[in-house]
Amino acid sequence: MKKQLLILSAAGALLAIQACELPPVETSQLGFRGVGMEHVANPSTLQDSMESVAARIPQLAGAPDAEMEPAPAGTWENVQYLGHLSEAEFNRTMLAMTAWVAQETGQGCNYCHVIEDDGTVNFVSDDIYTKVVSRDMIRMTQDLNANYPEHVGETGVNCWTCHMGEVLPNNYWFYAADGERDLERYYVNEGARQTERYLLDQEAIRVISDQALTGDTENTSSIQDTEYAYWVMIQMSKDLGVNCTYCHTTARFSDWDESPPQRVTALRGVGMVRHANAEYMLPLQDEWPANRLGPMGDGPKIQCATCHNGAFQPQYGAEASHATEWPAFQVLGPPHNGAGADADDGDEDTEDGEN
Amino acid sequence: MAMLTFERKYRTRGGTLLGGDLFDFWIGPFYVGFFGVTTIFFALLGTALCVWGAAMGEGLAGQTWNLWQISIAPPPLEYGLGLAPMLEGGLWQAITVCAIGAFVSWALRQAEIARKLGMGYHVPVAFGVAILAYITLVVVRPLLLGAWGHGFPYGIISHLDWVSNVGYQYLHFHYNPAHMIAVSFFFTTTFALGLHGSLILSVTNPPKGESIKTSEHENTYFRDTIGYSIGAIGIHRLGLFLALNAGIWSAICIVISGPFWTRGWPEWWAWWLNLPIWS
Repeated sequence: MKKQLLILSAAGALLAIQACELPPVETSQLGFRGVGMEHVANPSTLQDSMESVAARIPQLAGAPDAEMEPAPAGTWENVQYLGHLSEAEFNRTMLAMTAWVAQETGQGCNYCHVIEDDGTVNFVSDDIYTKVVSRDMIRMTQDLNANYPEHVGETGVNCWTCHMGEVLPNNYWFYAADGERDLERYYVNEGARQTERYLLDQEAIRVISDQALTGDTENTSSIQDTEYAYWVMIQMSKDLGVNCTYCHTTARFSDWDESPPQRVTALRGVGMVRHANAEYMLPLQDEWPANRLGPMGDGPKIQCATCHNGAFQPQYGAEASHATEWPAFQVLGPPHNGAGADADDGDEDTEDGEN
Repeated sequence: MAMLTFERKYRTRGGTLLGGDLFDFWIGPFYVGFFGVTTIFFALLGTALCVWGAAMGEGLAGQTWNLWQISIAPPPLEYGLGLAPMLEGGLWQAITVCAIGAFVSWALRQAEIARKLGMGYHVPVAFGVAILAYITLVVVRPLLLGAWGHGFPYGIISHLDWVSNVGYQYLHFHYNPAHMIAVSFFFTTTFALGLHGSLILSVTNPPKGESIKTSEHENTYFRDTIGYSIGAIGIHRLGLFLALNAGIWSAICIVISGPFWTRGWPEWWAWWLNLPIWS
């Protein structure tokens, strides 16, 4: 009897230790003192991911071209969005993109550019799909930095922010077959339908009523609607590694007056992700080769975690993830006037319509 | 004031915890004692500080005499484990000292009375568990988290806001395993009290013309309905066990939230999914 008790309590203690984090923790105050408006994090888990991020930052040579003059007409062919760069800055950006995105492939320029039989590189050709995708992604990055300062701040973002040295960023999402579950890659599960409603169909999730739910209430939200709202919010919480109080006063979730300012940043971010999916990711559907498509045949799409990777700021605000040093991504770059290149395509018109 | 016959036994001098006979007397039916005096001192001082804080309007709601909105809030986190200015949480710190002083004094006074009666210390120990839960909230957990600002504010609405916000910091507090156990004990203790209370009221209030029933009736009733009767002493032991566990597991469930777990409580259950049996 005593022996059994001993074994049982030892197992219990082991479980308790295994299943717990240990203090000290780090906390920050998000609202009036004393009402529990806080962010709580354990640096032993946080530090690990901060360090792993820092270790992956590539060492890039050269500073931005300080007195940048746009390259003279005819310097390049088929350059549609980087016409504002000098030749030096253009080359610096191309080299950086190779490190940011294609490092792990070991292919260098060839990841996007065609190498001819005689060994020369054909920079003009669009034959490799990655070049078409990269061009769209450059435009998207410029768009986000120019038009969403409420979300990306004054620092902006660059390719590294999401790619972090890999050809595919983490945490993009696909549709999953019905009932499919994948605990490791939570973005491919039945919840993708909720993500679709929120990020592609742009459905609102405001289900909280501001009046008593009597027969003649105007709020007709169903239980399914509230489940949908809850799913989206929990997803966002997980994507950013924050709790509910990061953006809400929980006694009055919907009340903007009492919400921390982070909620506005998050709302602008939702608009930004919707825009990026609608204007950049969905139109690329026909460009993807089969191995880049999800189980239901759709191309990759963006959500909060694609850039945030579980941190309240992508890469905890590491400077390498900013656009500050990269003029290529700070403005909606004009087409370069190449000899005979017709750079003005449909994308331009869409952009003008947006702004 | 007239004295009941058995009160002579209760009013026994001596047996004080500190020795000596300071304040070892009764006012009317009430035992005073040294710890009665310290209880009154801390309770009056703490209440006066609360009223002063309300007059100064140091809480979130500003100056108000609306009983629902008066709030004495703990310091901002930036003061850490140090002393804060009076109107920025220093008042909360002083009131917390008064509260603990009054609660502990009351428990010690109960202990003295128990000694005078030759009883065990069941009553002060049981009350001590309630004090432990309070101290866990405003002392132990803030110490582990590194700032007094993690205590809860003293106000009717504001402390509910605190509960709500702290709960949502862990996404879904009902997934906190210790919270599950505590809630189960709270429900069970009230259930047991309901069963026991209704039984006693029934046997002591028979229909007109019948006599009061005995413990044989009590035992028969529960043997008939659920097949077992725990007995007259047993039900009080069970009640104490259930009630104390409710308080103890409440203290555990809040002290592990933050110091020993910073993520959502639903996520904690990943250990089950990750068991080597099926993962």
